[in-house]
Amino acid sequence: MWSAGAVSLVLISCLFCASVRADGLVNEDVKRTLDLSTHLGKITAEIQLGNHGASRVHSFTLALEPELAPHLAFIGASVKGEEEEDESLELKEKTIPGQSGKFFEAQLPSSLAPGAKLRVKVETVFSHVLKPFPTQITQAERQLVVFQGNHYLFSPYPTRSQTTRVRLASKTVETYTKLGNPTKSDEAIEYGPFKDVPPFSQDAMKIHYENNTPFLTISSITRTIEVSHWGNIAVEETVDLRHTGAYLKGPFSRYDYQRQSDSGISSVKSFKTILPASAQDVYYRDEIGNISTSHLQVLDDSVEVEIRPRFPLFGGWKTHYMIGYNLPSYEYLYNLGDQYALKMRLVDHVYDDQVIDQLTVKLILPEGARNIHMDTPYPITRSQDELHYTYLDTFGRPVLVATKNNLVEQHIQDVVVHYNFNKILMLQEPLLVVGAFYILFFTVIIYVRLDFSITKDPAAEVRMKVASITEQVLTLVNKRLGLYRHMDEVVNRYKQSRDTGALNSGRKTLEAEHRTLTNDITALQARLKAEGSDLAEKVGEIQKLDGQLKDLVSRSCQEAERLVAGKVKKDAYIDSDKTLTGKRQELVSRIDSLLDAL
Amino acid sequence: CVNRFNYRSTHHLSTNGFYEFLNWFDERAWYPLGRIVGGTVYPGLMVTAGLIHYLLNLVHLSVHIRDVCVFLAPVFSGLTVMSTFLLTRELWSRAAGLLSACFMAVVPGYISRSVAGSFDNEAVAIFALQFTFFLWVKAVKTGSVFWTVGCCLSYFYMVSAWGGYVFIINLIPLHVFVLLLMRRFSKRVYIAYSTFYVIGLILSMQIPFVGFQPIRTSEHMAAAGVFVLVQIYSFLQALRERLTRQERQTVFSVALCAAAPLLCVCVVYLNCIGWIAPWSGRFYSLWDTGYAKVHIPIIASVSEHQPTTWVSFFFDLHVLVCTFPAGLWFCIRNISDERVFVVLYAVSAVYFAGVMVRLMLTLTPVVCVLSAVAFSSVFERYLSDDPPAEDDRKNSGSVYEKAGKVRKHVGVCEEGLGSNIKSLVSVLLLLLLLMFTVHCTWVTSNAYSSPSVVLASYNHDGSRNILDDFREAYSWLRLNTGPHTRIMSWWDYGYQIAGMANRTTLVDNNTWNNSHIALVGKAMASNESAAYDIMRLLGVDYVLIVFGGVIGYVGDDINKFLWMVRIAEGEHPGDVRERDFLSPQGEFRVDRSASPALLHSLLYKMSYYRFGEVQLDFRAPPGFDRTRNAEIGNKDVRLEQLEEAFSSEHWLVRIYRVKDPQNRLERNTHTHTHTPSSRKATRRKRGFIKNKLVLKKGRRVNRKQKRTGLD
Repeated sequence: MWSAGAVSLVLISCLFCASVRADGLVNEDVKRTLDLSTHLGKITAEIQLGNHGASRVHSFTLALEPELAPHLAFIGASVKGEEEEDESLELKEKTIPGQSGKFFEAQLPSSLAPGAKLRVKVETVFSHVLKPFPTQITQAERQLVVFQGNHYLFSPYPTRSQTTRVRLASKTVETYTKLGNPTKSDEAIEYGPFKDVPPFSQDAMKIHYENNTPFLTISSITRTIEVSHWGNIAVEETVDLRHTGAYLKGPFSRYDYQRQSDSGISSVKSFKTILPASAQDVYYRDEIGNISTSHLQVLDDSVEVEIRPRFPLFGGWKTHYMIGYNLPSYEYLYNLGDQYALKMRLVDHVYDDQVIDQLTVKLILPEGARNIHMDTPYPITRSQDELHYTYLDTFGRPVLVATKNNLVEQHIQDVVVHYNFNKILMLQEPLLVVGAFYILFFTVIIYVRLDFSITKDPAAEVRMKVASITEQVLTLVNKRLGLYRHMDEVVNRYKQSRDTGALNSGRKTLEAEHRTLTNDITALQARLKAEGSDLAEKVGEIQKLDGQLKDLVSRSCQEAERLVAGKVKKDAYIDSDKTLTGKRQELVSRIDSLLDAL
Repeated sequence: CVNRFNYRSTHHLSTNGFYEFLNWFDERAWYPLGRIVGGTVYPGLMVTAGLIHYLLNLVHLSVHIRDVCVFLAPVFSGLTVMSTFLLTRELWSRAAGLLSACFMAVVPGYISRSVAGSFDNEAVAIFALQFTFFLWVKAVKTGSVFWTVGCCLSYFYMVSAWGGYVFIINLIPLHVFVLLLMRRFSKRVYIAYSTFYVIGLILSMQIPFVGFQPIRTSEHMAAAGVFVLVQIYSFLQALRERLTRQERQTVFSVALCAAAPLLCVCVVYLNCIGWIAPWSGRFYSLWDTGYAKVHIPIIASVSEHQPTTWVSFFFDLHVLVCTFPAGLWFCIRNISDERVFVVLYAVSAVYFAGVMVRLMLTLTPVVCVLSAVAFSSVFERYLSDDPPAEDDRKNSGSVYEKAGKVRKHVGVCEEGLGSNIKSLVSVLLLLLLLMFTVHCTWVTSNAYSSPSVVLASYNHDGSRNILDDFREAYSWLRLNTGPHTRIMSWWDYGYQIAGMANRTTLVDNNTWNNSHIALVGKAMASNESAAYDIMRLLGVDYVLIVFGGVIGYVGDDINKFLWMVRIAEGEHPGDVRERDFLSPQGEFRVDRSASPALLHSLLYKMSYYRFGEVQLDFRAPPGFDRTRNAEIGNKDVRLEQLEEAFSSEHWLVRIYRVKDPQNRLERNTHTHTHTPSSRKATRRKRGFIKNKLVLKKGRRVNRKQKRTGLD
């Protein structure tokens, strides 16, 4: 079994080699550009491919040197069209036996006929390929870096002619390899042209030069996107940032840093982060609170945040912060019935020429989202889904977790997440609150309405009874006083109309009502007495006073009768009326004071 | 500040659970000693916050523990306001209660501790204090065990939250004792006090930090004594009912003669053999304001422990401080059992507030209560309706129907004050109250609303500059030093470093170990090589100092230097002498006439390292210190054993790295030697800071450096 397997493996690999060699492709003309002006190694190669074989070719192979391959962050290939229209090609990683390095197979959109030519542009970005040398510098020194690469294009195909152009960050170059007498202008070195280079040829290129561009690396970033169907998408990024240039050796002097412009030239004071144009409520903080050194600028097509860490970043120094903002969901969330699709950037801009060593994306979907499916623009590792609980969640929101290492600016692309969500579920949380308040109020109602005491307090009961009786007495007494006033009116009317019948009927009603009221009060007084309250005496006193009052009223009534009948003179009547009124008022005030005492 | 520490412990509590918190040994503080946090804090605050956090999360209100901590103080101030209302209602009337609640809600003396973010023991303790007092008054009024037990539970909460519980456990016995003297002692008081003492004692001993203190320290002996007294008194009362007059007299005299000396001897004996701890120095400092300065400089060095000035009384209480004696008088005039209590509370609180700025906090509630009483009584008299005219009453039927309600104030106004006087007085009082609210708003916004860790300065055009140097430096430490780095700084910054920088500190605001602090003070005061030995001994990696010379920040380390020296001198009188750091005129100054010991001290060197080159202003010479308004005396500072590791943007915080032995230069053999001082010089002589401290506008002088220990 084993030998058969081995044999087949050998066979397959032989076939493979044959297929690579046999497709007869040749790099006719290669223009390489090494852009080393930032802390990234950006290598672009424009290749003119020629098919010198006999058959049509459907794909070709891209190769990366084994030294550079582990640092590869991004690779993209496109075909240069006639009208400057680039068409990006799909790349698939593969291995070539007997060769170390990384290889990608690019599928051509249309096969290349024998003898035909094609212009291809290959873009690669390498992170951490510029090594600071010396690795430690003082604050006053400038940062020098070394790049080690290949003079030639690393390719499985023979190359007819090629040039290599290196763009540097500054004019200061310590050393550089001088293969084929390169010409050096201000910030560039031109190698070549090299003629007829065999496949897989390598020749070590080494450039040692000054590079003070910010060597910032995001050692880890966690991007949390929380979707709410109430119209908001909250984004928060937790960033661990590190200056990966030459380490600061010796002291950091604030004086020099403030007074000399070229002190700490390779340090990073601030950088710009570009947020989506609709970003609102931006915050920038860390564990110990808001970071007060930042500026926000709202532009037409974006929101620019100037992020200034709390302290300038020197080589080897780290910082850590959180930045977050809200986005309106209508720009990113699409739906068809119960089917939803969220289209967001998987990773966003942090600073220009960014390098992310480790990215974790957490997508928090609404509670109750089902059939979740994620479409990523490039392969990304999915971890176990988690559950997230926030306000009023009962069974948790699904969280999609994905991680990826070594990302650069070219990875800022959209991810699409499809899921199903029943809209009824949106009502769940408001209903929960309503229910909770309902239960609360209901309990209060029950508690207030029902008596839960385990012992009976007779004293309190008596007190309450007495209070209710007193209340009744109060109303009755007041009613009785009202009767007298009514009687006064009747008498006055009688004085004008001299209608004895009306007076008599008024008197009768007064008598009748007065009797019932007095009886009621007496009954209440008896009840008070029965309860053992000393208020009964006061009520008795009121009754006594009332009797006098009643007498006065009837007397004033009689006086009025006599006046009408002409038995008394008007002056005498007015006098007697005055005394009567005075007495009445005195009585009323005494009753009132007694009532107050009740 | 303390908030940081409390937050850190609460965080520990909420992540690791209650028992883990009680057993927490913090190896990050007091290096190399460490600190048993669980047993040396009042856990009430943390447990409250942790409990609220737990409950909220239980019902899926996923609030971060930080938010709970931030908003705890405002929430509890609301509860304080309510319990103030209840207390005043019990003491006087509902109207006064409402007024006192209003005062309590805005008075600056309490706002200072109840703003959002003030996560301090006092935040919950004042509520517990007021509520305990309310329940005590209720218990004395009703004599019911129910209210007393409620009072005990509230007292227990107070004990768990704040060292100020000692105030309660002395005030309540005092109240009972005074009632006894006033012949107002009754069964109700007996029930209330006996229950309170027994249950309160047992409950208070459940707090690990308190432990056996309630029966073994002098501070608690008054309560025990009154308890015994009350029992004896009641026993004699009971006897009196059973015995004849003749028997009674003999029994009384014998009992008095026997019991009193016996009790005294007992207590004194226990005191002598040390079973009862003597009064702590902190306690003495309450009676003798000069005591702390001489014996415990570490207490005297805190600005909050200084005697209160008149200005700060007015600043914190405004008109209330003038009106509360009136309320006190009203209470004394209409005395009753519970008003005796509030009178005692007021008198003692006024005394303590006069001794220490911090204790203004205990004065504030009672001032609110009594001022409310005063205002309410005056308003009742002058703001009441005119007595309803006779004809008015006769004609309108409605008067009769509401008879009980409308005519309440008839009797009060019988003296017949003129309506002009009435309106004049009312308007005047209302104006006073109006001014009070304006003052409260102003004080709150100006003095108590800005965080102490972020400074702000204002430009000429009114725009604001934020000086965030502290956090800049702390976050630098947090991110760019090793996780077990040990940082030496003066103790004021200990909690901040532990909380914000998450690094090990040598000393912090819990100043429990004076000799350790003295060692740090000695290192700061010694010359560089001597200090280096101490720092190697203590395993220091970085030294952090605060230097305000660039921006004129007055609370910096140079201004605290004399205190460092004094504390160091207390422990190492042979090595550090305050006299050496003063100029021949006895002044503390940093310029050319400064003493050589100061010019070569580690702190001076670190503060002014490279400062001599800085020219801040064209009119001033280079190296001009803005805080002390002086050109520094030693402009060419060279450090050999240390190197500058970080300085914040405005030089406020400077951090120095202690070099490893192999990297540094050959050590000078010259170590710290003292010029032989004359007899006159050895005499203790206080120094003073040359330029008086001035409060910079919009900036708070460090007013919150305190320890969590007692108080």
